[in-house]
Amino acid sequence: MPYESLLIQVVLVLLLAPLVQGVIKNTKARFQSRRGPGYLQPYYDYAKFLRKDYVVSPTTSWVFHVAPYVYFGAAVAAALFVPTLMNTGVTFNNLFILVYVFALGRFFLAAASLDAGSAFGGMGGSREMYIAVLVEPILMLTLFSVAMGAQTTTLSGMAAWASGTGLTFSGLLAALAFLIVLVAETGRIPVDNPDTHLELTMIHEGMVLEYSGRPTGLIFWAASVKQLVLIVVFVNLFVPWAPPFVEGTVLSWALFALKVLVTAVLLAAIETSTNKIRLFRAPGLLAAGGVLALLALAAQ
Amino acid sequence: MLPHDTKIVPAFQLRETAYAISREGGRLLAMFANDERPVCGKFVIYCLFSNDGGTVLVKGLLDRDETPEFPSISPEIPAAAWYEREIRDLFGLKPVGHPDPRRLVLHENFPDGVHPLRKDFDTRTPIETVVGGEFPMAGVSGEGVFEVPVGPIHAGIIEPGHFRFSQAGEMMMRLDAKMFFVHRGIEKAVEGQPLADAFYRVERISGIASVAHALAYSQAVESLAGVVPSGRARYLRALVAEMERLYNHVGDIGNMCAGIGFAVAIMAGARMKEAVMQVSDRLTGNRFLRGMVAPGGVRRDIDAATEQAIRTLLDALEPDFTELVGLFRENDELLERMNTTGIVPKQAAFDLGVTGVGARASGVDTDYRRDFPYGCYPDLALSIPVYTAGDVAARLWVRVDETYACIRLIRQILDQMPEGELRLPVPSIPAHSSAFGWAESSQGGVIHWLMTGKDDTVYRLFVRAAAYPNWPALTVAAPGNIIPDFPLINKSFELSYACLDR
Repeated sequence: MPYESLLIQVVLVLLLAPLVQGVIKNTKARFQSRRGPGYLQPYYDYAKFLRKDYVVSPTTSWVFHVAPYVYFGAAVAAALFVPTLMNTGVTFNNLFILVYVFALGRFFLAAASLDAGSAFGGMGGSREMYIAVLVEPILMLTLFSVAMGAQTTTLSGMAAWASGTGLTFSGLLAALAFLIVLVAETGRIPVDNPDTHLELTMIHEGMVLEYSGRPTGLIFWAASVKQLVLIVVFVNLFVPWAPPFVEGTVLSWALFALKVLVTAVLLAAIETSTNKIRLFRAPGLLAAGGVLALLALAAQ
Repeated sequence: MLPHDTKIVPAFQLRETAYAISREGGRLLAMFANDERPVCGKFVIYCLFSNDGGTVLVKGLLDRDETPEFPSISPEIPAAAWYEREIRDLFGLKPVGHPDPRRLVLHENFPDGVHPLRKDFDTRTPIETVVGGEFPMAGVSGEGVFEVPVGPIHAGIIEPGHFRFSQAGEMMMRLDAKMFFVHRGIEKAVEGQPLADAFYRVERISGIASVAHALAYSQAVESLAGVVPSGRARYLRALVAEMERLYNHVGDIGNMCAGIGFAVAIMAGARMKEAVMQVSDRLTGNRFLRGMVAPGGVRRDIDAATEQAIRTLLDALEPDFTELVGLFRENDELLERMNTTGIVPKQAAFDLGVTGVGARASGVDTDYRRDFPYGCYPDLALSIPVYTAGDVAARLWVRVDETYACIRLIRQILDQMPEGELRLPVPSIPAHSSAFGWAESSQGGVIHWLMTGKDDTVYRLFVRAAAYPNWPALTVAAPGNIIPDFPLINKSFELSYACLDR
């Protein structure tokens, strides 16, 4: 039954997303000659947040209250659409839906960041939108470059096509461009710094500073789900060997898990290798991603 | 820094006297007041200037019957701005014509007319907190501009300070800072205490400059008592002073990288700082090197094993540090963040009396170890780096060069260590005699001025740490940069709050 497998897939993504986050944090710490938190630490953190009470500024409107749920819902929806482990029979997993599901969640968080009227929230929200405006076209273009070859805009069709074509020059360029998207969308160095306590420098974290307790838990969890979904898109579309939902073998599942882990380690390595760039230099980096994506499209 | 020349004038002539010195290139080093009504019936305002390798002390006398005010010297000498506001808060002497009438040390929650450093203020006086007062901050108004308040409670585990940013989008147009939130009244608390007891409070004014404050105070006491510590004591003092500079510089260099999220360098800096502090603990019994310096000399000797531990530390630290600096030198991403960020122009650094790393990064060549020699520094080969760009990178390179200089100095100190008495007795000092003491801390010059009371007690101690003239430079460095760069600019100064809240 496709619906059962769909349910299993969504639950697995939701449950494993904090683990991937834990692997990234722990690996990063090791690269930086720290011991770091255990792999399971995000589970403890999110569980703690979800149990806690929260305070809300009296100046907020309904937007502030619903935004965490919309953001979480968007992440769950993305987990539904993206073909991951098995053939779920979902046919409406259009790439545009993925892009706009992310945009919906972001829109609500940015709106909520202005709602409480604090200076940090507004700065975070405006910076998030500024980065988003630059990242979205690259995300689109990289996905287009695969969609062109596959002659379909469904993610499952694209992934199936990518697995059949093997490594191409176009695919390589698109993979590089998508890696830049991955770094920017997950709020990592060099675009953003997820580990800082310096509010003035924050982008994504600044946007959600006004939240506490349960909404914070939801936002953090949703962010880790979004991160895993993006990694899944990366490995299934741009590291195109034996995606598990096509092959369905134990070996393909193991290979998939390995690819996700390697990507997580790669993210940790990128974050350790450099420093955060100046906010207004981010367009330069993202423009490079855009050019790579365009070249990938042209090579296709 | 013994004043080479002293000018005594009535308070109303303070301005013309100070301006005359300033116009000839004199630079204000420190300014403070003293309630000498029980001694000579007057308030005295002291202004210490440096000029052409010497110093001039101007004493403005204010009779007890006169209106408690003096002409402000801040309009032409911006370095005096904070000192004068502090004198008004703590002594109730009004600087007439001061461009900034706001309080400085005592905030809006402190009652009017109570001036704790006056002699007739008893420390046990209950102070009633004023509720609902306003503290005006310099801001901005108009279409499309806004203010961002930050602090005094910060996200990091640091001390309190309130910053008000005036913004046009991400661009900082103006920065105002409200400091002195946890002023401890140490200058008042030591009044009347025996000189030897007051030393312990002085040594604890600030963690990062424990040795510098201990040195400045001890040297003031020794200069009054006519004691010259033995060669060995002076060398051991220089040893701990340079160890203090070393752990601060490697730690500060790492911390600067926290402003740009460069984790490898942050961790490397923390690791090196820890290594130096552990050896410091072995040397003095204290990670902050306290307990070594004492009036009259030093308290502890160094044994062969500890000396070897220091040499081993330096031999390991030098290549480790070189590797870290290698990560900076050809790193375009890092230099792109630091070059041209947070510039303090030379003129501003000069006018504000900026000292230490901040001054030397802006082309102001000053270092108390050379300018006003003390201890064994005349015997040592000092190298004092000066950079002219005045930006974050310049402050980084000054610290990098000084770290190497520090390592060389410590080796030279160990090589040349003479024999001698550790500590000489400090004879009794006549009441109401006064002297300066000073030292170059890792952040810059520290100045103490001590006047003794009866039976070897403190009558008045004035403490000016390097952070005092350097904080205002931050408000010059920030505007024109974008607000996410502020933490980096701030960390490039890495100023102590505790040094203000003495």
